[in-house]
Amino acid sequence: MRVSARYLDPEFLQWFGLFGAGLTWTVQLVVGFGVTLARCGAANAVLGVDVKAWELTLMVVGIALALLAESAALSVLWQTRDVDYSDPPPEGRRHFFAVAASIGNLLFLVIIVLSGTGAILHEPCHPA
Amino acid sequence: MSAFSPGEAATPAAVARVERARLARPNGWWGMAIFVATEATLFGTILGTYYFLRFNNLHWPPPGVPEPKLTLPLVLTAILVSTSVPVQLAVSAAARGQLARGRAALLFAAVLQAGYLGMQLHLFVHDAHEFPPSGSAYSSIYFTMLGAHHLHVFLGILLILWILLRTASGLTNYRMNGLRATAFYWHFVNVLALCVLGTQLSPLA
Amino acid sequence: MTTTVTEPGLRRVERLERIWVEPRGLLGWLTTTDHKRIGLLYFFTTLAFFGAGGIEALLMRTQLSQPEEKVLSPETYNQLMTMHGVTMIFLFVIPMAIGAFGNYLVPLMIGARDMAFPRLNALSFWLFLASGLFMYASVFMHAAPNAGWFDYVPLALKQYSPGRNIDFYALGLIFNGISSTAAALNFIVTIFKLRAPGMSINRMPLFCFAMLAVSLSLIFALPSLTIDLVYLELQRNLGFHFFDVTQGGDPLLWQHLFWLFGHPEVYIIILPAFGIATSIIPTFSKRKMIAFPLVALAELLVAFIGFGVWAHHMFATGLPTITLVFFAAASMMVVIPSTIQVFAWTVTVALGRPEFRAPLMFIGGFIVFFVLGGLSGIMFAAIPFDQATTDTYFVVAHFHFIIFGAAVFPILGGMFYWFPKVTGRLYHEGAAKLSFWLTFVGTALTFFPMHIVGLLGMTRRVYTYPSSLGWDAYNLSETIGAFILTAGLLLIFANLAYSRFRGAPAGPDPFFGGTLEWATTSPPPSFNFPVIPTVRSAYPNWDVEDRRADAARLERGELVLDEGHETPASTVVDAVPDEIVEMPGESPWPLAVAVCTGLLFVMLLTRHYAVAGVFAGLALLAVAVWNAKEPQEQ
Repeated sequence: MRVSARYLDPEFLQWFGLFGAGLTWTVQLVVGFGVTLARCGAANAVLGVDVKAWELTLMVVGIALALLAESAALSVLWQTRDVDYSDPPPEGRRHFFAVAASIGNLLFLVIIVLSGTGAILHEPCHPA
Repeated sequence: MSAFSPGEAATPAAVARVERARLARPNGWWGMAIFVATEATLFGTILGTYYFLRFNNLHWPPPGVPEPKLTLPLVLTAILVSTSVPVQLAVSAAARGQLARGRAALLFAAVLQAGYLGMQLHLFVHDAHEFPPSGSAYSSIYFTMLGAHHLHVFLGILLILWILLRTASGLTNYRMNGLRATAFYWHFVNVLALCVLGTQLSPLA
Repeated sequence: MTTTVTEPGLRRVERLERIWVEPRGLLGWLTTTDHKRIGLLYFFTTLAFFGAGGIEALLMRTQLSQPEEKVLSPETYNQLMTMHGVTMIFLFVIPMAIGAFGNYLVPLMIGARDMAFPRLNALSFWLFLASGLFMYASVFMHAAPNAGWFDYVPLALKQYSPGRNIDFYALGLIFNGISSTAAALNFIVTIFKLRAPGMSINRMPLFCFAMLAVSLSLIFALPSLTIDLVYLELQRNLGFHFFDVTQGGDPLLWQHLFWLFGHPEVYIIILPAFGIATSIIPTFSKRKMIAFPLVALAELLVAFIGFGVWAHHMFATGLPTITLVFFAAASMMVVIPSTIQVFAWTVTVALGRPEFRAPLMFIGGFIVFFVLGGLSGIMFAAIPFDQATTDTYFVVAHFHFIIFGAAVFPILGGMFYWFPKVTGRLYHEGAAKLSFWLTFVGTALTFFPMHIVGLLGMTRRVYTYPSSLGWDAYNLSETIGAFILTAGLLLIFANLAYSRFRGAPAGPDPFFGGTLEWATTSPPPSFNFPVIPTVRSAYPNWDVEDRRADAARLERGELVLDEGHETPASTVVDAVPDEIVEMPGESPWPLAVAVCTGLLFVMLLTRHYAVAGVFAGLALLAVAVWNAKEPQEQ
């Protein structure tokens, strides 16, 4: 697979690594939460929501994007491995963001997996 | 270090030079961007309320309330959204030093926007007599959502009128920043108009 | 460190003093746009509200000291209980942390001469003061809000709360929210655009990262509260239907929107404390913060994840499991960034050469209470445990350990730490250490027994309890603890007040701090720095060469900006110097706008909607006049 040079640019990788997983989780939460409300609300008689399909899709796509973001962060971290976080920009700043992002993305990955698993495995609409 | 002082720029040509020299967006632009972020979140919660209440109700709109009208809201929104073009043209004209052209574009936009608002307010009042907000959750969120948007359109028209007033005596860097901020606000209001329209018409889907 | 300044340098400083001077006396304070003066206005106003909230607490604790006590009626208790929460959260801890500490310190720490929007800064203060007076007017009318600080429906609806109490609550908080939004906007633009040349984001002080996280949270959280309160007022006063089931509404709508704001709010409360802790620890450990990028990340991450946990406040409402799992998952993971910070703080102290003066002791107390409060907090992420302890004193224990133990202790420590910078004098160290121990023991004694009595079944918000349940001894010790805590606090303020007039001179940098506020005089001049510093590391005041280079630039007139009322703006990410911004001087218009807005809200409260519209128009007019006076014309 040939990746366009634009996506391998360290600036892009830095920003995608920093924000990608967080934004992915945000979408999974907002849409996933909304789908459960639709499934368990009075309107489901008309809407007929397949909550398991939605949640599975959200989780799989979420995991994929979070892993991509983590790879981006790790790649920038590797490129700037000889640099200190307080060194001059752009390398110092990229290193700083990459250190932060490589840990943060793992957190989002776990949240995405836990949320998706719970939403798929529990039978809809029993109160907690 | 580049030490240029935009505060002294008081002619369209001087402002144009400042616009070219600047590396980052001015503070006023960022201020408007953050303000737009908070207003966008506000509308996010309003639209979220609409869908939350919708999922809780089998009949939406409830019995006795008419389905939303399609054509007129669609046409009006198209007109409003199209005013982003003259507003943005006003910004690029002023940034190049062509103040008169920019002001004409702004005036044109404001006239269209005022026409939109007038028509929408007429529809609003008419609807409020037909299905008052105190009748159901549907009408409560319907009028809150539309009312909030119309209020933002009204404030946007006031912003344009204010910029027109201030630039009547010439262009300074401060007023150019104000024009940029106003344009940002209007693009936001127009995107919002599309989201509100989509939600308003969603029962027809 | 001080350097000798020669003739050309002195002349430039004199010019700066003339350009940046503000009027003396009352007029100066009413029209000030200086972030330091505004910070002091916030400081004293929030302290007054702290006193009010404290009196409310002591009255409640007196009522609860014995079973079946009759000091307060149930109705009075409900008003005190609600106002205590509202006051402490909206009128004390947040405005103190952001308006006082944030306002005073952020421009200094980033090497700027003021905030990005000085007049908006003044407006934030006057709006805050007006909103506090608005809400406290209700107390004098015996109509204070009385449905708890989260004001659940249906209790808050007209049918069950016919009086004005809830309208004071709703309108007062919308009013307060405008002030906070304006302040947050100002901080974000200031932090993005006004950093000193060379202070790229990776070199920004950790306190500023915390302020950035707080401000972004306020921007995205407040709208949810605002709209909830708007719906409430529309339903109460104009008959709309958002929260009643019979017309298609849902009482849970209130809770979702409230907690969508409310949970980020608690991170807004704790983040400034993190910022203060990460300022004090490196100074008194005499080393840089360990894992600096991770600490900076943790501050932003906890705020971000905090937006996705709100329904953990609703685990006992009957929502389906598939809805609640999202929030249980995020609630479990939100503790990780805070854990990273706790490790970083303790390892930094352990690897440094710590000097346990009063500020560091308060941070030590903070870490103890934060860890304990965090442990009880993470327990709530488990849905079954939460359902057993919801609305008991176990929750009250958790949040007071965090809000008082973890959010207020750094504020107290920070008051000692920055006292020399603000006043130019040193506080009394012995009295400060004693006041720490009193406050620490008092806090532990007040709030620890609440864990136990909560697990024994004592519910929240009760005005009394029978003696047969075995809760008596715990409640009595909590009340005793509250008075010990009060003694500690009074000693702190007595120390600061006395030292303000009789303390030893402090000099610019008594504690050898690493951030830029210590690179200028104590107190700083109105223009903060004679020459704008350039920065090459995350602890610029420990870069001796750089600070000497600053003095040389003062002689040459480079980045002194003594031609006008100016500060430099730079690019957002890398702080490349960009343009010179004209700053406005003193102005009466922020006060005028705040007065008109206050009158607008009074008219909304009394339902004179047409007159309210007039005041709204006047407020807009005042904004127009303000805007018409461009900074370079002043």
